[in-house]
Amino acid sequence: MFKWNILGVLRDRTRSVFPLTVVAVGVALTVVLIGFMDGIIGGMIQSTANLDTGSLRMVNKAYYEEEHLFPMDRALAGQTESGKWLKSHSPEEVTWSARIRWGALLDIPDKEGMTLSQTPIIGTALDLLSSGSEEIHRLQLTESLVQGRLPVSPKEMLVGYQLAETLNLKLGQRATLLGQTFDGALAADNYIIVGFVKFGLTALDKKMALIDLKDAQDSFYMEDIVTDWLGWVPPGFDIEKLELIKNELTDSASDWIKTPPASWSPDDRPIFLTVLDQRGLGAIYKKFKAVRAVIIGVFIFLMILVLWNAGILNGIHRYGELGLRLAMGESHAQISFSLVTEAFAIGIIGAVIGAIVGAGCTLYLQVKGLDMGNNLAQTGLMLNDVVRARLSWRGVWGGMIPGILSGVLGSWVASLAIYKRSTSNLFRELENE
Amino acid sequence: MDETVIRIENVVKTYPVGIEVFKALRGVSLEVKKGAFMSIVGPSGSGKTTLLNLIGGLDTPTEGSIFFYDKKLSHMTRKEMSAYRRDNIGFIFQSYNLLPVYTVYENVLFPLLVMGKREGDVRKSVEDMVARVGLAECANKRPNQLSGGQCQRVAIARALVKRPPIALADEPTANLDAENSRQILELMTELNREMKTVFILSTHDERVSKFVTREVKLEDGMISQDNLMDGLK
Repeated sequence: MFKWNILGVLRDRTRSVFPLTVVAVGVALTVVLIGFMDGIIGGMIQSTANLDTGSLRMVNKAYYEEEHLFPMDRALAGQTESGKWLKSHSPEEVTWSARIRWGALLDIPDKEGMTLSQTPIIGTALDLLSSGSEEIHRLQLTESLVQGRLPVSPKEMLVGYQLAETLNLKLGQRATLLGQTFDGALAADNYIIVGFVKFGLTALDKKMALIDLKDAQDSFYMEDIVTDWLGWVPPGFDIEKLELIKNELTDSASDWIKTPPASWSPDDRPIFLTVLDQRGLGAIYKKFKAVRAVIIGVFIFLMILVLWNAGILNGIHRYGELGLRLAMGESHAQISFSLVTEAFAIGIIGAVIGAIVGAGCTLYLQVKGLDMGNNLAQTGLMLNDVVRARLSWRGVWGGMIPGILSGVLGSWVASLAIYKRSTSNLFRELENE
Repeated sequence: MDETVIRIENVVKTYPVGIEVFKALRGVSLEVKKGAFMSIVGPSGSGKTTLLNLIGGLDTPTEGSIFFYDKKLSHMTRKEMSAYRRDNIGFIFQSYNLLPVYTVYENVLFPLLVMGKREGDVRKSVEDMVARVGLAECANKRPNQLSGGQCQRVAIARALVKRPPIALADEPTANLDAENSRQILELMTELNREMKTVFILSTHDERVSKFVTREVKLEDGMISQDNLMDGLK
């Protein structure tokens, strides 16, 4: 009987084309929608992690509480020992790098050494000069260079291209950083500007400079001292598992704090954070998930409504057949079951087609991306100008399963109408056709 | 003596029509013996189709009883009624009601699938039945490729392929010309003799009288005449 039903579906296109199209389009749109939304939030989290917070972060509590002031005197000493501790207490997939966040005045002198222009900037010091440094790849600095080159020697600096435009900077120009040393004194050091970078994040491109970690330690008198240890996980890592790693590290650190490194101050106390603990991302992520669930739920509900109507229309179209089948002794339940079976078969085929199309579109948006630079320019969000979708099995199944179920559910609801009509009525209507 | 297949006792059937009640049948009693080839004649609205629907288990009487052998139809559950129709009744319709997306062979196969048979087990029976109604050459054609007479032959094959005790034909010749009507009636007569299936035909067509062995006349929901006929010699 199953074969019989499928044969009918294949031969009678009015029974199959519309529901198949609805399921395929619905599934494709759902897959793209999930992929796009995952891409946006994933991209925002990834950008934030790479440029600013890391997926995991170890920071001195005292520094973290006032980090908007860049209090260098509260950075965490014992860089070498901290690095070893983190490596031995973290899961293998976590990679740690040290960074220094700093704030300073950028002074651009003329040929005589007089100030030509000056502006407050924020900066990050990271490992730019070691061979095989992952930071260059992590921040995609090679791809982000719009002019010049990456630092290859000490005391070379990269600046955001919008900052360079504002200050009318030239490559090879000397710049002086005026900041605060670890012990609170004035720090002043000269750098050569060797490249302009475009992160695609307006917030950074307007006021960010990058220097090598060792240079910063030299300029700010921070030998073996860093403000941050940032940890990264491989692509595709479940972001919600970061909380577990954070808790394990926090538990382990309680023993470490009891016998701290000799270079630590008495009130130094490292704390651990995930990317979602910072910059309000946790709240955004929660809201994003809720909004995504609502949007997808509404979408699926609409798909069920359309397929339910399609099921009813199909039932009307097939009144003659249904009456005949009842007359021949098929029970109402058997007919309902066969309609649902057909819907299931159509749902599977439609869902597969929709998933392939949806995955293709998502992949395209993942590779090519969607340039929303103009829209994002003033938002201040740490969101790449080019928004990319993210294709995942979860997104594909998230589209397919509701697509199949909505067809089955719609058809089942429509098939209940068969029960409401008496056999003789169906039969009479059959005779009157 | 031939056993009684259908026994109808004082059956009344009413339908609500707005606030009125329309009495389609008013106390009909009838016995149908095994192998009968009978017609129910009468003007429109006399209750012919209603009586066929009641015998076929598509409807239930408002009053009175219908027995299939010793089983009272009104005592059956909906599921049992479905099984009754499935196993015992073959329907032949005025407008054939073939399933347009299926071939002749598949239309004839359909009632056996409903009975839970596997195609492989019944293929020969289906092919034989298609051949018996003279359509072996058309087995793979769809209904829209057939003439009216051929469609009615398919409908007859579909009704009889499961060898039911009763075949109910509602105006089987109404859509056919004289020659096709004659051929269809001859075919039904032959199959009635071969298979001992009860044929009950509701009809306006006076030509049917020449073929049947019994003619029941309905007027205003009551039997006005019940005549034994010569049938086809």
